[in-house]
Amino acid sequence: MTFINMIRFTDGFNFWGVLIRLLLAVLCGGVIGIEREHKRRPAGFRTHILICLGAALTTITSQYLYLQMNLFTDLARLGAQVIAGIGFIGAGTIIITRRRQVKGLTTAAGLWASAIVGLALGAGYFEAGLIATGLILLVELLLSRFEWFIMSTTRDLNLYVEYRETAPAEGEDATEGTLGAIVAYLQEHRVNVGDLQITKSGAAAGNPCAIFSLELPRKLSHDKLMTALTEIAGVVSVEEL
Amino acid sequence: MLFPFEALRTLTPDNCALVALVRLAIATFCGGCIGLERGRKRRPAGFRTHMLVCIGAALAMVLSQYLTMMTVNYWDGMVTFSGNHFTDVSRFGAQIINGIGFLGAGTIIVTGHQEVKGLTTAAGLWAAACTGLCVGAGYYEGALLGCILILFTIILLSRVERWIMARSRNLNLYVQFVNIDDVGAIIAAIKAQDIRILDVDIHKHQSGDINQSAVFSVRLPKRLHHAVLMSALAKVENVRAIEEL
Repeated sequence: MTFINMIRFTDGFNFWGVLIRLLLAVLCGGVIGIEREHKRRPAGFRTHILICLGAALTTITSQYLYLQMNLFTDLARLGAQVIAGIGFIGAGTIIITRRRQVKGLTTAAGLWASAIVGLALGAGYFEAGLIATGLILLVELLLSRFEWFIMSTTRDLNLYVEYRETAPAEGEDATEGTLGAIVAYLQEHRVNVGDLQITKSGAAAGNPCAIFSLELPRKLSHDKLMTALTEIAGVVSVEEL
Repeated sequence: MLFPFEALRTLTPDNCALVALVRLAIATFCGGCIGLERGRKRRPAGFRTHMLVCIGAALAMVLSQYLTMMTVNYWDGMVTFSGNHFTDVSRFGAQIINGIGFLGAGTIIVTGHQEVKGLTTAAGLWAAACTGLCVGAGYYEGALLGCILILFTIILLSRVERWIMARSRNLNLYVQFVNIDDVGAIIAAIKAQDIRILDVDIHKHQSGDINQSAVFSVRLPKRLHHAVLMSALAKVENVRAIEEL
């Protein structure tokens, strides 16, 4: 109870109580950040600590104004802007690659969540802050494996295919090219082609490339489809996006 | 129905830890359900993103109730100013709605020309944040209903949408090519497949090194797959890129 008193209650809003809140914020931001750093994401260890610490400072400052200086303020006003502001910083970590993939969204969401953890710790609600830190770590560490498992069983698939236009073999219809062969294969195996995009100057080697959004039938596995596509003459590379 | 949660509806000094645990856990679960479905469709915002957003939103909402509780129960005697001593409970929540809007904006891509992608994902992320907000406020049944309806919309209604799309024979094609004179060859290639061209919208660029582009609205004959048309068009000389809109 003395620990709780020290960081939560009215007599706790003193130098040592504030120090404990800030140290907890550094700690929680740090453990969330270490996991990201370990995965080599752009926002790592120090970024998360700084965000968490800054957020904690805002709620502490509100309480200082309210409790110690006796100035009337809404205790949530400063902290509320953190929630909106970190949305901005997080959006900056999101990138769109040349192949139209969106990356960095989980990092952005994690950064945003750790800012709110900082708010809770700064306000002295350390139970919620610690529980949330635990849940965030659980999601990042354990559930990312679960996500990979789920992804490997999904029937929706985005394929990036780089190919070379081959000269038609003798007796073959000249309008049929590599792409025609791929489409014919997909139709034959009842793969649902949702969206298709063809670029002739996308790949580095100057080969044309196509991005397919596919829905596989139950019996066709990812690997089987990818191997079959690689074996089609003229296909340079097949990649899952 | 929600009898065990009835005691956890209001935050009191005694149930601080339990309320946080239950609400954050429910938020994680709700976010996970919504995110799992998105992840399976290979959308950029997947399982973990939705969970994190939901946890954050719920935490912010619990926190604002905590501040209100502390103001009323413990800090009231400390302040000397007169008037209203309460904090606004919904101020944190209001900024979640705002902040996740920004985050979601990052998932929206404007492809080639005239097409916007990722809007449903952004909207789903935003809706997940609102679900988290609901759980964090202690409005368990509201969050439950919201979560179910979001899942219903994403899972079942996307089937309906796909069913309609698959039966639509109208197609909008964005084609990029080198010279404005190539339009003739492209139109010939389309006509060769027995396709009716409803509308052609040509964008002419003046400077030489920029590719010309056109949007063709076509009506496919029955049984002709759109991918077949596109691969035939890709064979036309000087065509640089083709995209469905």
